[in-house]
Formats: sequence, C-alpha cells, structure tokens
Amino acid sequence: MRTNAGNLKKGDFVYYQNEIWQVQKADFYSPGKGSALMKAKIKNLLSGKNIEYAYKSNEQVEVLDVSSVEMQYLYKDNENLFFMDERTYNQFSLPIPVAGEVSKFFKEGEKMFVYMYNDKPLTIRPPSSVKLKIIEAEDAAKGDTVSGAKKPVKVETGAIVMVPIFVKVGETISINPETGEYTGRV
Amino acid sequence: MEIKTTTKNLDNYKIYLRIEKAVHEFMEKNNYLKVDLPVLSPALIPESYLEIFKTEFKYLDKKEKLYLTPSPELFMKRLLVAGIGNCYYLGRAFRNSEPNSDWHNPEFTMLEFYKVGVSYLQLADEVLKLLRHINNKVKNRKLKFDKWEKYSVAEAFKKYAGILEKELFNEKLFIKKVKSKGYKIEGATYEDLFSQILAAEIEPNLGKNGYPALLYDYPRQLASLAKLGHDKRTAERCEFYINGLEIGGFCTELNDVEEQQKRFVDQSAIRKKNHLVNHAIDKGFIKALQCGLPDCTGAGIGFERLAMIFANVDSIDKLKLINIK
Repeated sequence: MRTNAGNLKKGDFVYYQNEIWQVQKADFYSPGKGSALMKAKIKNLLSGKNIEYAYKSNEQVEVLDVSSVEMQYLYKDNENLFFMDERTYNQFSLPIPVAGEVSKFFKEGEKMFVYMYNDKPLTIRPPSSVKLKIIEAEDAAKGDTVSGAKKPVKVETGAIVMVPIFVKVGETISINPETGEYTGRV
Repeated sequence: MEIKTTTKNLDNYKIYLRIEKAVHEFMEKNNYLKVDLPVLSPALIPESYLEIFKTEFKYLDKKEKLYLTPSPELFMKRLLVAGIGNCYYLGRAFRNSEPNSDWHNPEFTMLEFYKVGVSYLQLADEVLKLLRHINNKVKNRKLKFDKWEKYSVAEAFKKYAGILEKELFNEKLFIKKVKSKGYKIEGATYEDLFSQILAAEIEPNLGKNGYPALLYDYPRQLASLAKLGHDKRTAERCEFYINGLEIGGFCTELNDVEEQQKRFVDQSAIRKKNHLVNHAIDKGFIKALQCGLPDCTGAGIGFERLAMIFANVDSIDKLKLINIK
C-alpha cells in the first residue's frame, strides 16, 4: 500500500535500500524551511540495527502488507529464536536482535504472533502483556517503607524486572514486554 | 483531539517554571526590554512553509480576518525601527499543519529576542551565556555550556553526509548527489532536499558530545530574513542543537528593503504553489523597514524544546499539565 510518509506510524514495515525495515518511531518534524518531514527510527529486519531517517512528509512510501501468524515459541540459541507454525509444523527462526529486548520475556511453549511476508518471518508482534513467575527475589528490607520503592527480581525466563517491594518469590506478575515494566500481580 | 489533564508531569512543569524565571532574570540583567505582544494580527509576513491559523473578528455586520501569529517578528521589528533597542518576547506562537509530536505542538511558546549592533556570530556568545545561566539555576549536570561545538553548514554536510562544498552550493550538483544517495527527488525543491538531508544525516549527530552544537552559514536559498554574507552564497544564519534536537536559531537581520520586498514576493509565490492559506501581507512591515531597521541580530528559541533538554524529558507533552492531542 502506498501512502504519504506523513502517515507512517510505529510498527509499519517499509523498504529502504532494498531491505525491509520496521518503523520503531515516527514523528512529525518541521524544519521551518523546506517541506515538513517525518523523522523515523527504523530497524533493519536482517540485522536488528536501528537507524534514523527522515522522509519528506508528502513523499510516497510503500508500506508492506504483512500478515501475522500465531506460532509456538520453541527455544533460542545464542543467535536465533525458533518458532513453529502449529498448523503446518513448519519451523522458522528469527535473529535475537531483530526480535529485540522483548524476547527476554518469552517462555518456551508460549504462543505468539509472528509477522510474515512472502512466507518469510519478519519479526514478532510483541504481546501487550506477559505473565511470568518470580524465581528469585530478596525480601524487602525492614523499615523500607518509602512509597513507590522498588526492588529487582528475576523471573522464570531469567530477565530482571523492577517490582514494588511487597512482591515475593513464587508470585506471578504481569509485565509489558516492550518496556520491561511490571504492570501488576496476577 | 481531546483535552488531557495530568498532574504526573508536575515535577517537570516546575522545572519549566524555573527555566522561565531564569530567562526573565537573564534578559533583565542584560538590559533586554520584555515586550508583551498581540497574538492576533490582521496581516502577516509571508513565510513559504509555515501554515497559519485564521479566524475572524465580528461586530454587528462587520467582519475582519485575523490570523494567529506564527512568530512575533512582525511586531518586534516594528518596535526595533521605532528605536526600542534590545528586546525580548516569551509567549505563544501558533503554527497550523504541525501535528502534535515529541517536538511539535501547533500552539507553542517562543522565546524571541533582538540585540542591536551585533552580528550573528557575536550573538552566539550571548546565547551560550543564556544557556549557562539557565543551567546554573536548574543544575542539570549532564550538560556543559562553556563552548560551542561549531560547524559551518558546508563542513557538516561534508563530515556527516559526504556532500562536498561544490555540490552543496550548486543546485544541480546537489540534487544529483542527493538522488545518488537514494532519496526521492521528484517534485522536491533544493530547500526540501537540503532539509531532508539535514534531518536524516546531520542533525542526529549534533550536540551529542556534551556541548551544544552551532551550525552556521546556510546556503542563501535558506536565508529567510537573514542578511547575506560577504560571499553572497551564504546567509548569516545559525541554528543550534543539543542532543540531536534543534532548539533555536538566530541570524543577522536583513535590513535592505528592496531585498526584503523581493523575498516577500518569492515566499508568497511558494505559499500559493503549496496551497497555503492566502493571508493578507503585512505591508506596514515593509513601510516600517523603509524607516530603517537598525543593524541587529534576532534569535528564536522553541521554549518547550529548551525546557525538554533541561528537564531531561523526551517530549513536549511531558512538560505540560494539560495537553490537547
């Protein structure tokens, strides 16, 4: 689909220098002289590298029409995440830097959506929330009653999350995987 | 659009107030007169790429078009002609077709000030002093304002975009070079492509070494109301950046009436071509300039952007208690 660059938004997939990139952030920017621009941060879906780019806001951009397919997350090695399409049993891999920091919160066996284009996986569609069990946490220090005080805990995927001090080992918490923030107890 | 209220930003807003106070202190100490100005005007200075808000005054059966001012320049230069001397305005300005983003709000706060008898690079020292003064009051330890990291536009284009001086100053060669870098050039003017390269390849690098960066000597096509330099191919114009963000700019003000009139005509033609609001042209401004604008340099600073830097926030919204978006 062709659109004005002024309509670009986070999550869109675009071609740039013959490779596919995902828009991480797009903001209107007017330099005052010359036409208005869309300043975008885009991520290369082969390397995971981010760059900044500026489009003229009235420039035509091809936004790829991608589909998202539900898959089971299997496991990861040092470089890639592996998924399986449960309907076809086809397996796919994605470089960890492409999936980004959110992959720290993926639990083996969980279902999630993968964006596909021409039968190739592009990246994952991060769930809005993940539920994970706390496996390591220090007890709150006595007398530490400052409201809003936080402590680091380790969740079952190994990621470290800051939580309110009243949260304990063994509890399951919900996390926004995109920001890595604790959003509540489950 | 909706009205969004938040007191979550109260701490940032308080920093904003401290910066505002620091600006007033600095200006008073350095003998700039504070001027309060209208925001509604019956005519405006034509600016090729700024869209404006228009409204209407009504009384009985009379109607008159009025416009929200995109900059206080038309009023301040009249006052300079009248001999008011160094002056500043800290207040609202309005720009239509600039949607709310991290760095833009159609209604924003502008710090504009004029110093008589100095040129653009001399005013750079004053701007640095202002930044230092604010930092002394707000105490943001991440920032240092002892010096500028200075680049001429030609140096910056060479260093960050690989565009040579001879390409920068020759429209044909420039457009050819930009095309070879993979940019779309259809329907784009030299100014459009200049701004695109600046935003895409140069600005992200500016002001990232702990000091603010000063970019100076713009190609004459981007002169706006700046005086041309001795070489006639650059305008005496600067912009400054902190952490990749353009905060403001200043230029030696054009006071050649004929040249000014010519630029009015050129800018109006571009407005027309781009289908921008056809507003009444401020002829009184030209008349005032005929009486003689003193040699001076004027600076315009996006006040919210300045406050974003000192408050360590990444968007204008985070400074505000009420946002409309």
